[in-house]
Amino acid sequence: MSESMRPTPEAEHLHQELSAVWGNSPGWRGRLSVVNHSTLGLRFMFTGLVFFLLGGVLAMLIRTQLALPDQAFMSPEIYAQVTTMHGTVMMFLFAIPMLEGLAIYLIPKMIGARDLACPRLTAFGYWCYLFGGIILFASLLLEMAPDSGWFMYTPLSSSEYAPGPGSDFWLLGITFVEISALSAGVELTVSILRTRAPGMALHRMPLFAWYILAMALMIVVGFPPLILGSVLLELERAAGMPFFTVAGGGDPILWQHLFWLFGHPEVYIIFLPAAGIVSTLIPVFAGRPIVGYGWVVAAIVITGFISFGLWVHHMFTVGIPQLAQAFFSAASMLVAVPTAIQVFVWLATLWLGRPRMTLPMLWVTGFLVIFVCGGLTGVMLALVPFNWQVHDTHFVVAHLHYVLVGGMFFPLLAGAYYWLPLVTGRMPSEPLGRLGFWLTFLGFNLTFLIMHWTGLLGMPRRVYTYDSAMGWDLYNLISSIGGFMMAAGIAAVLVDLVLHGRYGRRAPPNPWGADTLEWSLAMPPASYNFASLPRVESRHPLWESPSLGEEIARGEHARPGAAHGRRELFGSEALTGRVRQVIHLPGNSLLPLYAALCLAVVCVSLLTRLYPLALLGLAGAGVLLLRWSWENGGHSRAAPLRHDEPEDPPLHSRTADGPGRWTMGVALLADGAFFLSLLFGWFYLWTVSPEWQMPARSPLSLPLLLASGAALTLGSLWLERRVAALRRGREVGLTLALGGIAALGGLHVALLVLVLMVAGLSPTATAHDATLLVGLAYLLAHGGLATVLAALQAWRAGLGLVGARLPFEPGVVALLWRYQVGVYWILVAAIALLPRLTGAGP
Amino acid sequence: MTPLRRWLAPSHPVQLLLGLTLWSLWFVLLYAGLSVACELAPPSPGQGALTGINAWLAVLTLAILALLGWLAWRGLAVGRASVGRPRFIALVGAGLHLYSAAGVAFVGLPLVALPPCL
Repeated sequence: MSESMRPTPEAEHLHQELSAVWGNSPGWRGRLSVVNHSTLGLRFMFTGLVFFLLGGVLAMLIRTQLALPDQAFMSPEIYAQVTTMHGTVMMFLFAIPMLEGLAIYLIPKMIGARDLACPRLTAFGYWCYLFGGIILFASLLLEMAPDSGWFMYTPLSSSEYAPGPGSDFWLLGITFVEISALSAGVELTVSILRTRAPGMALHRMPLFAWYILAMALMIVVGFPPLILGSVLLELERAAGMPFFTVAGGGDPILWQHLFWLFGHPEVYIIFLPAAGIVSTLIPVFAGRPIVGYGWVVAAIVITGFISFGLWVHHMFTVGIPQLAQAFFSAASMLVAVPTAIQVFVWLATLWLGRPRMTLPMLWVTGFLVIFVCGGLTGVMLALVPFNWQVHDTHFVVAHLHYVLVGGMFFPLLAGAYYWLPLVTGRMPSEPLGRLGFWLTFLGFNLTFLIMHWTGLLGMPRRVYTYDSAMGWDLYNLISSIGGFMMAAGIAAVLVDLVLHGRYGRRAPPNPWGADTLEWSLAMPPASYNFASLPRVESRHPLWESPSLGEEIARGEHARPGAAHGRRELFGSEALTGRVRQVIHLPGNSLLPLYAALCLAVVCVSLLTRLYPLALLGLAGAGVLLLRWSWENGGHSRAAPLRHDEPEDPPLHSRTADGPGRWTMGVALLADGAFFLSLLFGWFYLWTVSPEWQMPARSPLSLPLLLASGAALTLGSLWLERRVAALRRGREVGLTLALGGIAALGGLHVALLVLVLMVAGLSPTATAHDATLLVGLAYLLAHGGLATVLAALQAWRAGLGLVGARLPFEPGVVALLWRYQVGVYWILVAAIALLPRLTGAGP
Repeated sequence: MTPLRRWLAPSHPVQLLLGLTLWSLWFVLLYAGLSVACELAPPSPGQGALTGINAWLAVLTLAILALLGWLAWRGLAVGRASVGRPRFIALVGAGLHLYSAAGVAFVGLPLVALPPCL
């Protein structure tokens, strides 16, 4: 911490008091129990960097193999594994986690909070990412890596053509990593909406927070289709349920729909935070506010929506009617509009400002050049006839690298150089940084600009070698030379990153003259970020009040110190930024690590087909997660009731609202996306699959389904009444009522089990029965969870951890019950009623 | 004011999502409607674009277009008369409605030229 930030003994005392409460515990146990967002954000980014380097080595192997024709450097089998893993590692283990790590590190600092709203979820997400990544990458070292391409098209990835464990590694490992992405998506959304500094209304939020909010919500909605696809494909491979096999009534094209429903938004999930970096840096280095803040917000929202309407443009060659192709072609062009808005806003800001060509700006300029080119080839690919011509050629490879490397990697390095002084307190080396940039920029264009021509000459993707007679030799050689030049540039950047920590010049406070709150902090920031919580009523707090950092450090703003021993931050209204509650956060905990370890056991057990062990691991994870939820609210390890509690604003667990309620809401949004994907799969197979077999009579008992639904609905209505009564301060008979609600939940589950037992499904024989089984399992899992949570609430009410003074938790559980009621009746209508009404038998 | 009326006010943040949500629902209906109709009752390719499927989807498109246009006009009117946060949300919301309307028109345009199931 620089002296100017903490000049007085009072400030020093404040720092020690806050550090004692917010600091990470010492020793190995302490390192493993960290829940602090700064530490975990850096761990995400460091792990992402390691995977990036591994993915980069794979890229170099590919370029070595393709440098000359007829090479035998790699066998076709190994080449297929290397290309598949290069794409998989870069997309799933580098790009997304790296940007999540950046957001996890920066968002609380930018919005004036001391941590994210769900610190244990941050830790859980990190461990899931680390273990999932290790499991996935281990497959390459074992020479049994997936080899069906990073999008794992069926039937190439199905048992028939990929009998080894490679596809299983991909499906299980990626699903594990996606739990991490969803965790980050949920908590970033809640944190941005509910923990902003007092006064930071929606229209004053830093643009970076808008971008991350959009990214987080896109993860929440966009990842579940792939999770569903992965579950279905793994069920097909492991248990023989024919979701993607035509003979059993399935359809391989369903995989493509589910994959690209995730896959296309994924590109924008990667692009948006990177564009957020650009929108943050350009005003700083232009020395003026961004031109058209509202336009940028509109562009972000548009991108978030429209990017979900383009998935079929990856499937133009599968035989879709012309008119449908035209819809998706037009939608693909539409998405260029918000991107163009942002590009023009950035140019206008530079035009009207006084740009300084610093090292971060060099990378931003590189981004602008490369990304605009990638965007233009994207519009070309949106045109159906052109798309057909270059489908599966190196032209597409060149385009996606222009978009992803230009649209993510260059801004990421701009951001790395920009925020490096904040993280380490030292400045990077200008000459080394510039050398790194030029080698990377020139090397990149040499590799991928040339690849457009290689593609137009007809060179297909994923072929391990080529004949000299094809005329592709020189182009490939140049691409390979460019690839190694780019690698040298990245090496220079890495050397700079490593050396600057020791030899870099000490950074002065706010070295770039930035406007956002993170630069008001010590460099590197303390574990609690803000010694006192500032009020923010401007989009440019540091430009309007350059001494804000000193004021914060001296404790001149709200809630200085932590004499109460709790980790506290403000819970503000999503729209206005008005303070509603004081959110108390949990401290360091090993539970996230243990829960993730249990899931790792599940993952490895499924890979090795040790199903009883997998069940044991799943049960262990469940118990640990429930224990995690137990240590909340008025629990002795959270915020037990006291006489000297703050009342204006109150602690969140003493109110009917709080981050947990929002977290449940956003998590249910992800759950809803999963459910809708399942519903889509059902209707898709029903209408499109050529061998779909709908039985003459539905095997699901309607009376039993109605009885089960009635028990669920009654339980949910009862719970809603008790929650409303609790909010009015009435707690008489609460334990008994919650017990009764849990009993109704139990009845609902028991009847559902009975439905399943009397149905006599043959899930390995037909996709119809397999889909019914998955649907019923989905309802059973949710019904079971709702029941257990209601029973735990009854227990907590008996212990005095839920009541009129602690009314928060039943409202959170009620959301799950409400959700279960909704999905239950929709699914019953879709799988039991509709087939009866349409008489859809053979 | 009921929650629904509050949500529909031009300065409510739901307006930032409403236009594009309508666009998304329309898009899903368009694609799903076309796919199901082509599966159940594909018209003769000789009919060109003059089919019942095209007509129904065009009617749906025009209805959504009108709704989005009205929402955009309303947001603009309220935004111009407001200040601060309500102005920001109403104007950005109006812009998003306008974009959504343009998106509906642009994506729906092939309905007048292409046969549905070919």
